Amino acid sequence: MTLVVIGLSHHSSPVTVRERFAFAESALPGALQEMRTAGLAREAVILSTCNRVEIYAVSDSPEGQAIAGLRQFLLDYHKFEGSLGGEIYGRGGRQGLEHLFKVACGLDSMVLGETEILGQLKKAYDTALRLKHTGALLNKSFQRAFNVAKQIRTETNIQRGSVSVGSVAVELAEKLFSSLAEHPVMVIGAGETSEKTARALLSRGARSIIVSNRSHDRAVELARELGGRAVSFDDWAHEFPHIDILISSTSAPHCILDRAKLEPVMKARKHRPLLLIDIAVPRDIDSSVNFLDNVYLYNIDDLQAIAGDHLRQRREEIARCEALIAQKAGAMMPRSARPAGGPLPDLGNAST
Amino acid sequence: MGQITVKSVSWWTDRHFFLLAVITYGLSSVYSLFLWRKGFRKHDHVNYALLLAGIILQTKAMFMRGLTLQECPVHNLYEAMTFVDWTIVAAYLVFGLWPRVRFLGAFAAPVIFAIGVFALMPGLDPSHTGQPPFAANELVSLHAALTLLSYGAFGLSSVAAVMYLTQEHDLKFHKLRAVLAVMPPIDRLEKITSRLLWAGFVLLSMGLGLIPFLLKNRPELHASDPKVVWSGLVWCLYLALLVLHWRFAQSGRKFAWGAVAGFAFVVLTFWGVNLLSPSHRF
Repeated sequence: MTLVVIGLSHHSSPVTVRERFAFAESALPGALQEMRTAGLAREAVILSTCNRVEIYAVSDSPEGQAIAGLRQFLLDYHKFEGSLGGEIYGRGGRQGLEHLFKVACGLDSMVLGETEILGQLKKAYDTALRLKHTGALLNKSFQRAFNVAKQIRTETNIQRGSVSVGSVAVELAEKLFSSLAEHPVMVIGAGETSEKTARALLSRGARSIIVSNRSHDRAVELARELGGRAVSFDDWAHEFPHIDILISSTSAPHCILDRAKLEPVMKARKHRPLLLIDIAVPRDIDSSVNFLDNVYLYNIDDLQAIAGDHLRQRREEIARCEALIAQKAGAMMPRSARPAGGPLPDLGNAST
Repeated sequence: MGQITVKSVSWWTDRHFFLLAVITYGLSSVYSLFLWRKGFRKHDHVNYALLLAGIILQTKAMFMRGLTLQECPVHNLYEAMTFVDWTIVAAYLVFGLWPRVRFLGAFAAPVIFAIGVFALMPGLDPSHTGQPPFAANELVSLHAALTLLSYGAFGLSSVAAVMYLTQEHDLKFHKLRAVLAVMPPIDRLEKITSRLLWAGFVLLSMGLGLIPFLLKNRPELHASDPKVVWSGLVWCLYLALLVLHWRFAQSGRKFAWGAVAGFAFVVLTFWGVNLLSPSHRF
């Protein structure tokens, strides 16, 4: 009995291919049952996210045969008739186990070290466990994967620092303010990046959001989505003394905020710290405002530089993580390679 | 005031414990340097543990001295310095129970170590034998303890202010350390600085408020004593800082610099003023 994994990920295939093989959440029980009924797997977990579709299985067949069988299942299940090259990969034994550990740790993710995949993997495993499609080997492998992910998170810097503009902005806000809930946010210009940044702030506790945009309808729409309120683009300056975080991304060809405008505002706000996030190109905020006390200005280059530094530091950690994963997989292999002594999962009890 | 018998002080024993405490504070300072070199990215459990070990040793030393004297050990510059040092460590350990401000220890350790080393300098701990101790009555002891506690609070507030200035500088100049460092947000550091200054100010006011009663009981003391004048100046300095912060919203960097400058003034002039004062030994 051996652990095998087959699938597609952002490394091997474009989204146009991946989307053809994605499993809807409601389809998972049927797919798992079908795979086991066909005798392709004794145990199975299906992981289907926007960046990967993978089947983790334990099979009685030799590795190569098991991988080929699962590959054909994937093609047949999704009725795929096109031609494929190396989009679908397959790994068995220790390689398969190491792959599972890497996925759990975010080492195989598009955003290196991201943690969302661990939650998705746990959910996929819980689904299979609840439906009794897992057994001794997969249970042990997944539990170990979760432990390795935890160990890597605490012992290495693979997950340290934010690697997107939105989350860097949130980190900066949290270095200024102990609780985002008490500090109103204003979004000027309802573009995609500013929306993402505002959402990131909301996810970390920001409560009060004011949106202003040249198109007032768009401002109202975004404000509704964010649970905030919209103000006319001509009135944003009136709201300025009350806010502590500004995200600006207008398409104005010139600066909309400079030192002369900000100085009296800072007096009116009694010199409370003010975080200015300027993600517009050309820039919305004149860089001279950063010379004012209690004003902290970051433009898109500053944010990307921080995100880039974080990413570089994460990359430097890859070797440490891989060594740890190899050690953990190696320690597990001799025992897991032996036939499991416990009872096999009961196909008959598996719900669909 | 009646003649007071001062028991001989086994100075080497309690000083030995204090020396061990200072060595522990020194280790904590070295570890702080390591944290600084690493960009303040590690949590500060080690400093907390070292400072806790140090204060246990120092408390033992102070108890031994106090038991020998049968009084609060605040009779000379050495004892005054150890009292201030102890206050800073104790206040930090209380604040450090809150994990988000535990990092204060990395900045407090060098200050605590420096004060400890200063206290150990020769000549600051003359023998008590044959001399009536300065704090030979309860009122004087209370006055000394309150003012020294206030200097401890001012010391820790200046440490929080230095942390504020470091973090503020990193944020202002877009240093990567600003986001990677495990330091508290600057609004919390400002709050800590402000609260410690208020605590120190209240303690100092209480300590100085006892002066009129002391003058009644101690004819050799004068309101024009350099130490009394200096203490009044320190009180005015902190009052101005707090009023500017509270009433005129002078927040942020200027306030933090004020807290640092205030304590620097206290530390740099404390010894000299004592030398000028005929009625104070610390």
